[in-house]
Amino acid sequence: MDVHRSYRLQASTVEAVRGVTMQVDSGDFLAISGSSGSGKSTLLHLLGGLDTPTRGEVFLAGARVRDLGDRQLARHRLLNVGFVFQRFHLLSMLSARENVELPLSEAGVGRRERRERAAHLLERVGLARRANHRPGELSGGERQRVAVARALANEPHVLLADEPTGELDRANSEAILELFASLNEEGLALVVATHDMHLAEGARRRLELIDGRLDG
Amino acid sequence: MLWRFSYRELLGHPLRSSLVVLGVSVATAMMISMLMLGAGIGRSFAELLVARGYTLRVSPRGTLPLETRATLSDIELLSLDLLGQAEVAGVAPALAANLLLRPTAGVASADPQGSRVFALGIDPDEQGVYRLVDGQAPRGVGEVVIGSELASEGFDVGDGMKLDRPGDFASPASGDDYEIVGVAQFVYTSKGERPIAMRLDDLQALTLRADAASFLMIRLHPGIDPTAAAERLRTMFPQAEIASVAELVARAEARLSYFRQMALVLGAVSLFVAVLLVGTLMSVSINDRYGSIAALRAIGFSRQSLVTAFASEGLVLCVVAGFLGLGLGLMVAGYLDSVLSDFPGLPLAVEFFVLEPGDLGTGYLTLVLAGLLATLVPAWRAASLDIAKTLHREEP
Repeated sequence: MDVHRSYRLQASTVEAVRGVTMQVDSGDFLAISGSSGSGKSTLLHLLGGLDTPTRGEVFLAGARVRDLGDRQLARHRLLNVGFVFQRFHLLSMLSARENVELPLSEAGVGRRERRERAAHLLERVGLARRANHRPGELSGGERQRVAVARALANEPHVLLADEPTGELDRANSEAILELFASLNEEGLALVVATHDMHLAEGARRRLELIDGRLDG
Repeated sequence: MLWRFSYRELLGHPLRSSLVVLGVSVATAMMISMLMLGAGIGRSFAELLVARGYTLRVSPRGTLPLETRATLSDIELLSLDLLGQAEVAGVAPALAANLLLRPTAGVASADPQGSRVFALGIDPDEQGVYRLVDGQAPRGVGEVVIGSELASEGFDVGDGMKLDRPGDFASPASGDDYEIVGVAQFVYTSKGERPIAMRLDDLQALTLRADAASFLMIRLHPGIDPTAAAERLRTMFPQAEIASVAELVARAEARLSYFRQMALVLGAVSLFVAVLLVGTLMSVSINDRYGSIAALRAIGFSRQSLVTAFASEGLVLCVVAGFLGLGLGLMVAGYLDSVLSDFPGLPLAVEFFVLEPGDLGTGYLTLVLAGLLATLVPAWRAASLDIAKTLHREEP
């Protein structure tokens, strides 16, 4: 609600997000579009509890972000929010299956259940056969699908994706959009920051950020 | 799960990890060696002095045993007086002198005039300067036992040898004849010395020092405190220097304080180098992974989980390197000990580097804990990074 986020950049102050008020409900599929530097990533970080607003309030599942300590916020992100990044950020030393198991192990899920859930999620994103491959042995599209599987590991309420198709070709972007659409149909809320018009058009709702302000 | 990421990160950079393990091993070896040196001299010296149970030493006033050529006089009377004291169980006089060993038939000699030997005159029934390994003690007039050095030159039990006072170069044929009756291991022999032992009165006669001794060794009855006994005997015999082994060790340690300080400084520097190496590697390694760390924090990993994972990396490095360093340290200490034992005038039995499991354990644990602390700083810094800012930087 009326969220502002500014940064000090040398002598000047950059207003990345200016007075944004918005709500994400369960089952939403929201695309936030805008040009580079318009504040999309900052807004996504604020929504996911990675950043705190300079002014205004962000509520996550009813809790005010400002009131949560680092440990509580981390727990909240672990269990309720899934993150997908443009550059995947998979751990190169671990296999696809192990990458998917990571959030499960942090949540305290036992080894056997971790393995079963990771196998199921990799099958869900069409990578069952690539489970033991390391990220370096996968294509960009496959890596992003592993990242989506990792984001879904703890069955979050919302999946936040920052330019998820930014590093992918047309065919892989299409595959990611289809995956997102099917996840949304299953009830998962998605917020996607993108300047990929094709991906934005696939969402149920579209918001455009211009210089940190919501347009329309 | 995260520990797997950490360990594979170490294994994934084999050259970097190996170099650090090697560096920390060398630093550990230095630290362990210095620890052994610092503690070793005193312990080894004490063990040497209490050899064969003689816990007090009597030497000429103002000197330490064998420190000077000064001798105690009227030692027969002095020995009897000492034996008359309630706490004294035995008195072993010893006279030390350099003698000239004249060329002997059947044994090669580099110098036609003869060569030096270090002679000790002792009471064969009350002595603490050698352990007999072959033959018998020199109980008869004209009998000697020789050290392994002369035995290795070809002398053996039953052979004869001609001994003379040094400086008496009148004739290579001069000197008195002695018979070798035993081979012994001498306690206080220095590198290059060729020790022999004979009856005290024999050596006194040969060196023209009647009723004299370089020092006396005193054996106390069981249960008597040597330091208290030394203090009491000092008041009764003010003409002599009487000291317990503990007091002699303290004096020796005071003289060797340079070694201890050097060992302490070098040990501390080695530990510091090891900590710097681990800290530097972990800083570089963690800095390389800022993007992954920010992503892990974003997907819900707590600071504690990440710090634990990174700390375990540092711990593995220190445990492995410390273990290698222990072995290397023992090898270095052994080599340096052999070099330092060549110091002239030092008994061969004195060891500079003494292996004490407790000290090694302390050194090892200190290294591991210091390495762990060195890891915690970059680990906590990384775990506390601004997630949003780091992701902004990492993403295009």
